[in-house]
Order: sequence, then C-alpha cells, then structure tokens
Amino acid sequence: MNKLYLYILALLVFMGIGASWVIEKANASHEIPIIKKVPNFNFTNQNGELFSHNQLKNKITVLDFFFTNCPGPCPIMTYNMKSLYDDFSKSDDVQFVSITVDPENDNIKVLKNYADINGINDQRWQLLTSELSNIKSLKRDGFMLFADELPQGHAIKFILIDENGNIRKYFDGTDEGSLTILKKDISNLVKSIQNT
Amino acid sequence: MKLFRTFSYLSTSLTYLLIFIGGMVRVSGAGMGCPDWPKCFDRWIPPTNISQLPDHIDPAKFNIVLAWIEYSNRLFGALVGLTITIALFLAIKYFSHRPTIKWPLVIAFILTLIEGWLGSVLVHTILNPITITLHLLLALIIVMLLLYAAQESYYIQHPDSEKNSKYPSNIKWVFLVLGFSLLIEIIIGTEIRGGLQMLRKENPLLDSNFLLVMLGPFKYMHTILGIVILILSIFLWIKLVKKAEQPSDLVVQSSSLILFLIFLQIVSGEVLVFVKVKPIVQLFHLWFAAIIMGLISVQYCAWKKSQSYYE
Repeated sequence: MNKLYLYILALLVFMGIGASWVIEKANASHEIPIIKKVPNFNFTNQNGELFSHNQLKNKITVLDFFFTNCPGPCPIMTYNMKSLYDDFSKSDDVQFVSITVDPENDNIKVLKNYADINGINDQRWQLLTSELSNIKSLKRDGFMLFADELPQGHAIKFILIDENGNIRKYFDGTDEGSLTILKKDISNLVKSIQNT
Repeated sequence: MKLFRTFSYLSTSLTYLLIFIGGMVRVSGAGMGCPDWPKCFDRWIPPTNISQLPDHIDPAKFNIVLAWIEYSNRLFGALVGLTITIALFLAIKYFSHRPTIKWPLVIAFILTLIEGWLGSVLVHTILNPITITLHLLLALIIVMLLLYAAQESYYIQHPDSEKNSKYPSNIKWVFLVLGFSLLIEIIIGTEIRGGLQMLRKENPLLDSNFLLVMLGPFKYMHTILGIVILILSIFLWIKLVKKAEQPSDLVVQSSSLILFLIFLQIVSGEVLVFVKVKPIVQLFHLWFAAIIMGLISVQYCAWKKSQSYYE
C-alpha cells in the first residue's frame, strides 16, 4: 500500500512539473517579434493638429486604414476599434490611429464629424489625413500593404505598433477571434513598458 | 468480465487525466489555440509553420504552442472517447442484465458525445464562460459514472467485500447533500475564474489580484460553502469510520483521503485568493475537487453495497 502511495506521489510530481513546463511555454509564446520600423511621416489629425511618427514613441498603437464613406468592412472595423478604445479607456499608454485612404473627401472637417459620431472625444484616437501620395507610400512601403485602387482597396488589417515605433503584428480587423488575441498582445506590451 | 473492469478503470483514469489536460488548456489560455473545430487551422495535424496556414484564417491567430496544447486536449479526448465506447460494448455484452453497470455506461457514452459537441460550441462562441463550466461539469459526471460502474462490476466478482462491515443506515442524505454541495462549489469556483476573465476583458491592464478584490463577496461564498463541505465530510468520516463496525479498507482510505484533500483545497484556495493567482495552483485546485467528487461516489457505492446484505 505504501508503494502505491509512492507511485501516486511520483505521478503527481510528474504532472506538476509537466504542467508548469507547459504553462511556462504558453506564457513565453506570447512574445511578438519585431517586423520593421514605421517610416517617418507627418500627417494631420481631426483637430487640424500635426501627428507624426514621433507621436508613436512611448505608446502602444493600433493603426488601420479606412475612409468615412466606406460601405463595406470599415463600419465593422470602426466598431471593433471603438470597443478597443473603450476597453483601454483607463490607459494613456494605448492609442489608436486611423488613416484615411480617401483624403479628397475626408478633410479635417469630415474627420472631426466622423469622430463626433463615433464618440471619439480625446487624444487617444487619432484620425489622420494627408496627401494621397503620402498615404499611398506610407501604406505600401511603410506597412507593406496593398495600396492600389484606393480608396476601395484599403486593407482590413489592424497593425500593432510598439513603444519604439516598430511594427509588431497584423490582425484581421473584422474578426472577433483575432481581436481577442490583439487585446492580450496590447496588454502584454503595455505591461512590458510599465515594468521598464 | 475482467476485461470490462480493466476498461472501465482505464477509462476512469484517462478521463481524470483528460480533466487535468483540459484544466491546463484553460489556465494556459490555449482554448482558442485552434480557431476551428475539429480540425486545427484546417489541418488534421496542426501546422508547425505559419506558411502552412490556409488563406481564410488570420495568421495573427497562429501560436504553435497554444495550438498544440489545445490539440492535445482534443486528441486525448478522442482516445478517452474510444475507451468509453469499448467499455460500453463490453458492458452490454457481459452486463446487459445489470442495470447498475449498463446504464451508467450508456449515459456516460451519450454524455461523452455531448461533451465533444460542447467542445465545438466553445470554439465557435470564442470560449463562452457558461459553456466552459458546462464542459467541465459533464466531464465530472462522466468520470463518476465510469467509476461507479467499475466499482459495481468489482462487487459482482467480489460479492463479500463489504460483508463484515456495518455502517449507519440512515446517511444516504449526507452523500447526496455532500455531492450536490461539491458540484455547486465547483460551479462557483469556475464562476470566480470566469468572473475574473470577464473583468479582465473589461480591464485588460489590471492585475489578477486586483481583479479578485473587484469580485467582492462572491469569493466568500466559495469559502463558506467550502466550510460546509468540510463539516459534512468530517461528519461522514465519523459515520463511516468511527461509528461503523469493521469498515472496509476502501471506505477508511477514501474517507481519510477526502479529508486530506479538502485540507489541501482550503490551503490552496486561500493561497489563490490571498497570496497570488498562480495557474499551476488553480489547475491542481480544480483537479483535486474532481478527485474528491470521485471518492464520494466510491464511498456511496461501498455504503450501498453494505446495505444490500440486509435486504
């Protein structure tokens, strides 16, 4: 009988070590590699203020491309971005950036109006515009996304950018499952800046 | 007949291991490791490289570690399903005239099918908290049914096992109340964890310990019911060990083990609430609860057997 208890104890120890190993592996697997740096840009936000690559410093940024008249996936993307915006409302370490791909229509006034309609009332969510050529090159060369046939071909990606302005990961901005992961990744990155 | 017992013990222990693996999926956050079901990223063998992903699945969802943790739960689940199916066939073959063996197996088999289906619901609802709890509860019921059938078949071959033992006859209600309380306790426990998860969704940047404070009085319910369970199991121990005449080894050992495990549960539970929410402690906290559940079923079955000699 004593031998049996010894076996059971050994089994429990083995299970404990195995499970700890798995949990540790799982935690470590949340590390996200750096893809590349976001190039320099100088755009204008919904309040007419300048917003440049320097504003990406020391914050975790979620960035996407959209346009206000977009009938297709943009409303879903904006809805999802808004829920992230609300979830992280207590943190100044997280910001959101949406860049229009239809600058001809989306001037500052239109962007401001879009912000009001969607309940964007602070600096944490920036709606940016610039000249079409600048936007195109930032999108194609900076973010390696398809940039022909704008505004329709605007890509549905949410791009996660770290506190040093590095692109870390791309997410499907219309997929609920992807957003759950995005949220976790944002939290992990924020915790890592807070700890340093 | 012996073969049936082998398979029913085998399926019981494998189900316990599966509950452990399932808990591991939960505490390591690997539940969505595979975004589809039953395949993983559209493959029967999960991808080992991001280039193997199909076009329609967002590559952001790919995490090889989490995918394999989740998939091991499914593979092991399939294995357990197979052993339960074989046990069912053997039960029907040898014990079709024994309702206390046949029916637990039939029900366990049906619940296993439902359990698999619930697994797919979990993936499709992106881990709905109520479904997670249901997924665990079914596993507990299945493991108790298997254990019960195994023990019954043992008594058929060893009909005199409890012959010399005499236990108080009016304690059926204690088993029922204790089993039911434990079930509720496990539900509240998973709700605490689920509640933490919900709070974390809304406050993604807060620490687990801080979130526990936000849960408020809910966590005290778990402690209070825990004390009730402790008292009931001490009461049962007195009845089955102290007040009994020649209690069998099985009853003595399982009664003592229950007390010991409940003691461990209280210690580990308080560690979780007051010291730190540690995943490995959470995992064993849940798994020991599942073991206690099984031991109560063992006690009950033995007690019932002893009563049958007087009928």
